[in-house]
Amino acid sequence: MSNIQDTTNLHAERPGASFEEKSAWITLVCLLVLFTGYFAVAAQMLAAGVTESAVPYVPVFTLVVILLVVVLSVGHTIAAVTNRPEGRDERDRIIAWKAENHSSWLLGVGVLAAAFALATPIGPAWIANGLLMALFLAELLKHSLQPFYYRRGV
Amino acid sequence: MGAPPKISNGIRALRFKHDEMTQKELADRIGVSRQTLNAIEGAKYSPSLEVAFRIARVFDLPLEEVFRFDELS
Repeated sequence: MSNIQDTTNLHAERPGASFEEKSAWITLVCLLVLFTGYFAVAAQMLAAGVTESAVPYVPVFTLVVILLVVVLSVGHTIAAVTNRPEGRDERDRIIAWKAENHSSWLLGVGVLAAAFALATPIGPAWIANGLLMALFLAELLKHSLQPFYYRRGV
Repeated sequence: MGAPPKISNGIRALRFKHDEMTQKELADRIGVSRQTLNAIEGAKYSPSLEVAFRIARVFDLPLEEVFRFDELS
């Protein structure tokens, strides 16, 4: 038995969030805002009957991806300037792996649903947007779990 | 998603006994971020064996003098 006092419950120094945690928050917010916008437009197009091809959705999707890259770059640059990144360590890697492990099933469900939908008269635009929705939800869950694990512990 | 295992430690006390070593100093010596060391001190993260041994080596103590596994938690 150790004769060193257990100090895990003493008042702790509180360093700010790490760059990796900030990165997860930035990605979460950017994904949420931009892809909510994309799906709002896509829902209107689907409701207007644009279901025979996914091609009309490509310009909207491309714009959202370009905006996402720009906003993520700006967000990460600001985070890096305000708090110099210390580099990824084992805890960051475990949290990323665990979040991925608990969220990738959503993408799997989406791909399976799309495969089954191919055997139905559902239009390709629905299937393509369904796949995108599955990818979006999986990423959203992953980037929500990361801050949760940083705060709760792993 | 169960609660993380409770591995308590005396790192904070050991830092103070070693010339009030800061979290940043110890984190740099064992190769993790300050946030990770803080999580280890607060029992919010159980480090790998490699990091645990590095911490024990900094204080020149055996592993069980630094960490304690509470099987009842």
